[in-house]
Formats: sequence, C-alpha cells, structure tokens
Amino acid sequence: MNLWLRNNAWRHALVIFVCLFSLFPLYLVVISSFNSTGSLRLDSFIPREFSFANYKMLFTDPTIPYMTWVKNSLIIAGATAVLSVTIGSASAFAFSRLYFKGRKTGIQLLLLVQMFPAILAISAVYVIMERVYTFAPSIGLGTQAGLLLIYLGGAMGVNIWLLKGFVDSIPKELDEAAKIDGASAVQTYWLIFMPLAAPVLAVVALLSFIGTFNEFILARLFLVDMEARTVAVGFQQFIGGPYSDNWGPFVAGSIIASVPIVAIFLSLQKYIVNGLTAGSVKG
Amino acid sequence: MTKKRFSAVGFIAAVAIAVSGLVVPSASAADDIVVWADESRGANLKKALAVKSDWVSGYTITVKAFSNFDALKDAFDKATDASGPDIIMGANDWVPTGAKSGKLAPVTLTASQKARFTPGQLFDLTYKGNLYGVPVDVNNVAMIYNTKLVTTAPKTFGEMVAFYKANKASKSLKAGLCVAGGGMSWGAHSIFSALGADAFQFDSRDKIIYNRSFNGTTFGKNVRTYLLDGKKSNGFLPASDAGCKDNFLAGTVPYAIIGNWEWSDYVAKGFTMNLMPVPGVTAGTNGKMFGSVSGALLTTYAAKHGSEAGAKSLLTNFFGSTAGQVLYQKYEGRPPAEKGAALDATVTAAQRGFGAAASLAGIPQIGAFLNSNAGGASYWDSAPAYWTAVLVDGKDAVTEGNKLAAIWRANTSAGKADL
Amino acid sequence: MTSFFTGKVSFAIKLVVVLLVSAVLLTLTQSAFAQKEYFIAGFLAITIFLLILTYLSKISIPLKFFLPGILLLVAFVLSPILYTVTMSTYNYKTGNIVSQGEAIEQVKNRGFEPDANGTSFDIKIGRYEMQEAILVSDTINKAYFISTVNNRIPLNAADLTINEYSVAESAPDFETLSDADMAKADELYSLKRFKYQDEYFIALEGFEVGVVSRQVLEFDEAKDQFKNVITGDIYVNNGRGNYAIAGSPDKYLEPGWRAPIWFENYTKLFTDKRLRGPLVSVFIWTVTFATLSVLTTFALGLILALALNKPIRGRRFYRSILILPYAMPSIMSILIWGGMFNTEFGAINNLLGTQIAWFQSALFAKFAIILVNLWLGFPYFYLISSGALQAIPSELLEAAAIDGANPRQIFRRITMPLLLQILSPLLIASFAFNFNNFNLIYLLTGGGPRAELDGELAGATDILISFTYKIAFGNSIQDLGLASAISLVIFVLVASISMYGLRKSKVLESFE
Repeated sequence: MNLWLRNNAWRHALVIFVCLFSLFPLYLVVISSFNSTGSLRLDSFIPREFSFANYKMLFTDPTIPYMTWVKNSLIIAGATAVLSVTIGSASAFAFSRLYFKGRKTGIQLLLLVQMFPAILAISAVYVIMERVYTFAPSIGLGTQAGLLLIYLGGAMGVNIWLLKGFVDSIPKELDEAAKIDGASAVQTYWLIFMPLAAPVLAVVALLSFIGTFNEFILARLFLVDMEARTVAVGFQQFIGGPYSDNWGPFVAGSIIASVPIVAIFLSLQKYIVNGLTAGSVKG
Repeated sequence: MTKKRFSAVGFIAAVAIAVSGLVVPSASAADDIVVWADESRGANLKKALAVKSDWVSGYTITVKAFSNFDALKDAFDKATDASGPDIIMGANDWVPTGAKSGKLAPVTLTASQKARFTPGQLFDLTYKGNLYGVPVDVNNVAMIYNTKLVTTAPKTFGEMVAFYKANKASKSLKAGLCVAGGGMSWGAHSIFSALGADAFQFDSRDKIIYNRSFNGTTFGKNVRTYLLDGKKSNGFLPASDAGCKDNFLAGTVPYAIIGNWEWSDYVAKGFTMNLMPVPGVTAGTNGKMFGSVSGALLTTYAAKHGSEAGAKSLLTNFFGSTAGQVLYQKYEGRPPAEKGAALDATVTAAQRGFGAAASLAGIPQIGAFLNSNAGGASYWDSAPAYWTAVLVDGKDAVTEGNKLAAIWRANTSAGKADL
Repeated sequence: MTSFFTGKVSFAIKLVVVLLVSAVLLTLTQSAFAQKEYFIAGFLAITIFLLILTYLSKISIPLKFFLPGILLLVAFVLSPILYTVTMSTYNYKTGNIVSQGEAIEQVKNRGFEPDANGTSFDIKIGRYEMQEAILVSDTINKAYFISTVNNRIPLNAADLTINEYSVAESAPDFETLSDADMAKADELYSLKRFKYQDEYFIALEGFEVGVVSRQVLEFDEAKDQFKNVITGDIYVNNGRGNYAIAGSPDKYLEPGWRAPIWFENYTKLFTDKRLRGPLVSVFIWTVTFATLSVLTTFALGLILALALNKPIRGRRFYRSILILPYAMPSIMSILIWGGMFNTEFGAINNLLGTQIAWFQSALFAKFAIILVNLWLGFPYFYLISSGALQAIPSELLEAAAIDGANPRQIFRRITMPLLLQILSPLLIASFAFNFNNFNLIYLLTGGGPRAELDGELAGATDILISFTYKIAFGNSIQDLGLASAISLVIFVLVASISMYGLRKSKVLESFE
C-alpha cells in the first residue's frame, strides 16, 4: 500500500488537480448556456435556473441560420484540411526524400516566410481577391472558394514543419527497395508513403480543421451573406458590435460547435498521440 | 503527335474551355446601387426597401449586411472601387477619416432638403464644409430611474448619491448610477459633464471655445465629494459598464444611463418612460449628453461604378425623405433624424421621450475633437481611463482630472484643423 | 497496382487533367487580361507554363510534389509580404490612402463650390439637338430653360407641360430620357457641367436636382499643381502625398495619396521618442511573454506526461479530459476566461473571495495572460511529451539503471537531453507562434491596461503585433506605412531568434 501511495498517489493527485483546472472554464460555459439572461455573470456555481432558451434561439430564430453556418464551417474547414494535408505531405516528402539543389535553403525560406507578421496581409489579400472577382467572380471576394484558396496559401509552410520529422523517420530502405523494383518517386509516394503516413496525416488534417474552423478575421470580410457565413463569423453578430452583448446564443453555439470537434479528437486520440510525436523520433 | 491524339487533345481542350465558362463573369449590372450596413440596420433596410420597387427609376438596390459593425468598418477600410459600396450606413465619426482618405464623396442638398434636418445633424456629417451623407437615425442616451425604488425625479447629483447611501443596505443596492448604454466614454459624458468636465467648452453664444478645457480641480473636487469615500470609490458609480443593464433590470441599481436603441428591452421588463438628463451638481443644471447621427454616406466608388446620380437620388428619395425614414424606422426602431419623420405618428413615445431628454441637454458629437489624440490619447481612450484611475486604482481625483483636462484641451486645439 | 501508375493509361489521365486545368487557367488569364489585371494575368500565364512543364515532362521530379504548394504560397503569402515591405516605404496612412491619379480626380470633384445662395433647380435629363441636355425648372422664379454643355436656351412656359409642383415635364425638341435609360446614362450625365452663366454651371445631384456651382480648383497637368481660381493659391506636389501651398505646408488639399518616402518610417522608429519608448518596453514584454508561455506550457505538459507515463488506472479518462482545452474553439475559451476575470462578478474573484481588478493592474493582467495561455497550451505539450517519452528506447533507461543511476540522474542525464533534442523544433515553433499570438492579447485584455492619462501609447500587455495592429487599424489615425515598417522589424527579430535556436538545436542538419 505504501508503495502504491508513493508511486501513484502523487500521479493521481496532480492529474486530478490539472483536470479540474481544465474543466473549470468549460463547466462555466455549460452553465451559462442554460442561463436565459444571456450574460456571463456567474454569481453561483450551482445554476439557479435551467433554461433552453439560448439553444432554442439558435435553432428557431430565422435571423440566425445556425445550422447553415455549421454546414458552411464544416465544408470549408473540411476542404481546407484535406487539401492542405495533401499539399503539405507531398511537399514534406519531396523535401525529405528527394535530393535537389537548394533543399536546405528552401526549407529555411519556408520557415522564414511563416514567421512574417501578417498584419497587412489581410489588406493585401483583400485587394488581390477584389481583383480576382473582376474577372472570376466565382472564386473572388465573397466566395467560399476564394477563402479556401487563401487558407491553402499557407498550407505548405505550416504542414511541412509538422510532417518533416515523420517522413524522416520512415526508413530509407523502403524507398530503396521500391526504387530497385522500378518505382518512380511519385509511385513511392502514393504506394508506400501514404499508407504509412495515414495516422499522421489524419492528425495534421484535424489540426488544420480546427484552425480553419476558428478563423474569423478573414472569414468575416469574405463571407458577408448570411447564408454563406461560417459559425465563427456568425458568432460575431452576438458579441462583436458596440451595441450587442448577447452571450447566451454565443455560448450555446460554441458548445454545439465544439461537440463534433471534441468527439473526433477523442476518438482519434491514439492516432494523435502517435502522430504528433512520431515526427520527432529519430530512429 | 498522332492525328488521333491531336483531336483527342483538341476535344478535351474544347470541353475544358466550355467548363471554364463557369468561372467567366457575366457582365455586372450597371444599374445596381449597393448599400452596406451592419447586421441589424442591414436587415431592416432590406425590409424597408422591399416595399417599393422603384425608389430610383431604372435601378435595383442591393443591401449587404455584415456580421457586425466592426466587420462593416473593416471591410470598408479595405475596399477599393472593385468591390466597394455606393452608399454605406456609417457612424458620423467615419466622415472625417473617410473624406480625408478619399473614400467618401460630397453630397449637395438643396435648401429645402437641408431644412428637413437640424443644423447640428448636418454638421455631424460635414467635414471642411462639405456634407458627405444624409442623417438617418439619432443616437442618444438618457438617464432612467427605477420608479419602484425612486419616487421623485432627482434634481441634483447630490440627491442621487444621498439616496444611494441611505438605501444601500436596506435595498441591497449594488451601485447608484451605472452606464448601461454607450459605454464609459460616450454614454458617460453626461456624468463627466454633470460634475463639471465637458468634452469641449461653449461660450455664452453657444460657440465652441477651442483652447480652453474644463477646470480639472473643480471637477476633481466634485468627484471627491460625490463619488469617493476618502481615497476609495463609495460605490455609487462603477468604473465599468459590465452587468449594468442586468443589475438595473433586476432592481439593484436605481439610476442608469441607457441608449435609445435598446429601449424596447426595458419596456419588455415593465419600465415606463421616466427619462431625464443627468442632474448637475447645482439644481437647474444638467450633464450634457452627446447626440449623434448615423447617416447614409455617399462613397467615391459610386461615381466609379457609374451609379453616382442614382445613389444621390436614393439618398434624397429614400434615406432623406420623410416616407423613407418612417418606413425604415418602423423596422429599426431608432429615432429618425428627419423632422417630418420625427413627428410622424408611428414614431413611438419612447423615441420622443429620448428626443425630449436629449434636447434639454444635447451637444453635438464633434469627431474632430473626440477622435484626435494630439494630447496623448483620444477622448474615447482617456475618458474611461479616468474612471479606472480614480475609482479603481485610487489615484487622486484632482491630479488625474487636471491631466484629463490637459489632454482634452490639446485634442480640441488640434481637432479644430479637422472641422 | 503499380502498373496503374505507369504506362499509357496513367499518362493519358495525367495529360487530360493537366490540359483541363491549363484550359481553365488559360480562360482566366484571358479574362484577367481583358480586365487589365496584368500582374495576375502574368502570374496565371506562368502558372500554366510551369504546370505543363512540370507534369508532362521529367525536368524536375521534386517540383511535381510541391508546385501547387509553392504557387499558392507565392500568391497568398509571398505577395502580402512583398506588399507589406513595399508599403513600409510609403507614406500610407489615413489621408494618404489612394493612388495619385485617384487623389487628383477626387480633388477635382470636390473642387467646386455651390454659389452663395445655394441655388438649385429641379431638372429632367434628356437630349436636345443631339447632345446631352437638362430641362431646368426654376420653381421660385417660374423660369425655365434647357441647358447643354455649351448653351443655355431660355424657354417660354407656355410651350411646356408643367406639373403641379411647377416643374416642367417636357419641352419641344427635348427628348426626356426614359426611366430605363436613366441608369445607363448615369455616368455620362454625372460628369457633365451644364451651362448656366459666367463661370457657374449646373451639376447633377441625383436625377431630379441640379445645383449651381463653379469650379474653384483647376489642375495643371503640365506643372503638376492645383490652382484655386478664386483666390489664386497654388498647390504644389509636396512629394509626400499631398498638394500643398508652398510655404504653408499645413494648407493642403485632401484627399492625399500614398507617396514613397523610403526609409522615413524606419527612422521614425528610432528617432520618434513617443514611439521608441513603447516599442522597447513592448518588445521586452513580448519576448518575456513568449518565453514564459513556452516554459510554463512545456513544464506542465512534461510533468503530466511523466505522471501518466505509467499505465495507471483511469489513464485514458484523464487523457481525454486533459486535451479538452486544446479541442475547444479558442475564441470561445479566451472570451470565457475574460468573463471569469471580471472584477465584480467574475468566477475567479468569487472563488478566491477577492476583489482583484485583474485587467486594471499591469501585474495581474500579465499573470492572467500567462495563466490563460497555459490553459490553452499545456495539452499540446502534454501530447508531444508523451509521445517523445515513449520514443526514448527503454533499453537506454534500463542500461542506465543497471549501471547504478538513480531515477533523478537518469532523468537529468538521459531523458531530458533526449527529450529536448526531439522536441526543440516544436519548442522553437511555439516560441515563434506566441511571439505573434495576436488573438490571445486582443481578445483577453485588448493590450491593456494602459495609462492613457499619462500619455502611454502601448498597454501593459501589448505585444509587438497587437501594438502594431493598433497603429494600423486603430480608431483615429491609421498609419499602415508605419505598421508595415514595424512588421518588418518584428520579422527580423523573430527570424533571428528562431534561426539562432534552430542552428543551436542542429535541426537543420537533417537537411544537409
């Protein structure tokens, strides 16, 4: 018993303490969502009332097409995730496996480019897309396709970093065997690399999905029409303006929006742990 | 390439070009007037405009509603003629920056059109002699008191403080006067003013004096008397507006400053129209409150799009007309700026009440003075900072008051160039 | 299966796809060209060329893998960077936003003033004698005339149809424009100046009103200056984006345009005392904040990983809860935390029974920021530390134990160094991320608290990027040129620190 206490008690104690730290704000979120005054005032930890008014508002108020927003968010974030991972993994494979001049400079440049503070980037991108709109309105300003293109702009830089280590850890012997069999680089990529990389790619896709889901600064400039907005933009309606302070639907909506993400996260837990770290392992 | 391959490639290319026709734009309608607005005004505009199909003959009107006011401003800042609107429903403090930056275009009203608005309203949307839009709705605040707690309207500031102190324990009051609408800079101006700190000074003929500011010592002493208990706040005025509306509606704060745009929430909770300006330190004086207008502003993009005359017609036929304003405010519910609309029977008693309170003690919101930060900080940043410094951090009311006066004087002097 | 990727079939598919994409891009290029977007058209043309070259030949195999990525990068990441760098050399701020041509046009448009009486007339637009003309009704004096650009033709009221408002609706030889045609004619008529008398003309204010005005400012293209024809003032190009009176630089015409001022924005950073002070203090806090964030999140994550390294009961359950903060949308979490720190009714003050004004005190605000960032970031480091711990071969640890090392020594000498080697790229990446962690600062404290009354420009919790954002998009004067210059400086700082870290951790050697 003493041994168990010494070895494990501290583990449980510490972890439970941190779990409480993790859960505390989330508990408050859930309570506020059932608070019909729509404020974040929490004077007691046991909810005094339990009303579904906020949730009802999200689903029945005609000026809040919440489910449309969720659909838009899922589509945009999903498309970004898939395409982003494709671009990133292909690039990571090339940088890791293929030897070409300027490989090291290339990756250094990619890193540098990512560190640039993107303050004016929004203005620049807005102007670019405005001009694209003049000759290609379906992918210009105000379209989901245009927004998707912008999100993909950074795909290569971000994902290479996450994936490079993993690609490095796949033994080169596999590649060589394939080469002897007469496979080209592209074939090696699709037939050998991809199956092995699936878990890691799933993780990277999920991280990209979450990041895109949360993005609202670009999205609120681009997706103006009520029906085209994402959840993140829609929330701005509740909490953004100088006259609006409507926490109720915001909190309720946040919870609903989080549920699928958390669910996917939890179900892919094993992959995530392996994926995030496999990249850092060196043989 | 073999002939077969050649034709195959040609066939594919043809299909591709046909497919890509989907991304080629159709000629954009040259007879469209685009109006941008925020989420509430936009929605209500659409409803009001839908009533008639030809506000401006030959034109269709498209309203784009952004998700919130910040998003609207953000987009407008970044827009160029490729995507910009023809008319934008903006705040009056957009006029100086928009005009300076070449985003807003001047509008000339005829004498009879001008007569429909008060000179103050037109002044709000004027920059260096040019008018840049048409006033649409009036934004103002007024003080309301809870008749269940307070039986008679207070005549002096001191009365309110005395009431708070006397009843604090018995009625579990959380504060005496809080700012529920307009924030601690805009809405709270009436409190500043009631205690002696006006944002800008008028002389006896109601002309602005540019290089004078309020007396920081007098103001600071008033703050000490009425808002402080020694070095700490006596609880009468909270330094932030968080939770004010909830507390007032719950009956734990007797006086509150509220904005005309949310009157319906108070009506829903059973409050009646007991609006008044904030009483001053001596009986018969009031704290001055800002009255500002939001307007339909004309952009320079309208001329680029070839819709200039159409946009100008829309401004006069709809935005600036009695019929248009009545229709729009029916949905939006704010006090209309146009005189005929303001007298219209459909304007609710609430809006009239706000108008009455405002007319007793209203001053124009002069963006040139309030936005300038020549003194180190703009009015918008320095005003709430005063409350924080004195009521929360316990700094000296007189010292901070003098600092504030110096900042506002510098801002006013510098802002004169921007009128 | 391999054969699927070789041979005629695969080549055919590849050819089809490449041609399809190229055809689409070709159409886009043509449209772009037609709309005078030459840069974009050029970029698209190059794209087509590169696509065909890369995928239909064997010139560069690596390029096949990252061509789309690079193209998107250039379009949406590199061009904004170039834009930022370019704009940092311009006088680009409120009042100097548009291009010079645009500014000149607008000054011209504003360069006329209504006459002293504000005379305006009701008009009808149409055509007279094959020219654009307006039918003018002076309802006050009951006078009527037709005005073209060059002529003014008085009319007899008896010849006209006049409505109940005394406005003439039609006149002989005057073709009123139909409603449908009005919209198309808008641009044409809006630009015209219809003759009135002397230097006064009638300009359109909408379709039904004309205002009598005269031109005050005239532009001399040859000399590149404006002249006020009434007062005689001459406004010259001051080289900084405005036309100003020589000798009275404060009297300038608006709007101005964005003009190149080269390195002035940069020198301002060093010479302007009002900027220099805040920049230095903000920089110090930014580095402190980024470092503390990485240290605290890594420490907590690592401790948890160590604690849960053993398969104790409930490990999966604990893990699910521990990663929740990472899985929640961060906007929501940050705003909720902001509410929790509220002085009067915040949950934190409730819990601790205190009345701390969290966001009004510099020290407490900084603590709050670090705490919230810890909450947001520790799950990530927990996850990667877990994996890294598992990646350390157990034989190493066993061998060390056999050699007589105690757990603490094993940890310090073997585990930690290996962990750091594995995780250092991610630690550096986390530093760079937090250096520019705009969302957290903006949403939680807004950069505050700030002693505005004492003239402070930057708040106590402002980091470089949030401070720059205020300069670029703040409320009164938006100085985008200056903000771009600061962005470049930030970039140089972050890049140097990160590159130094990368060199030290020898990560880049894997690419030799």
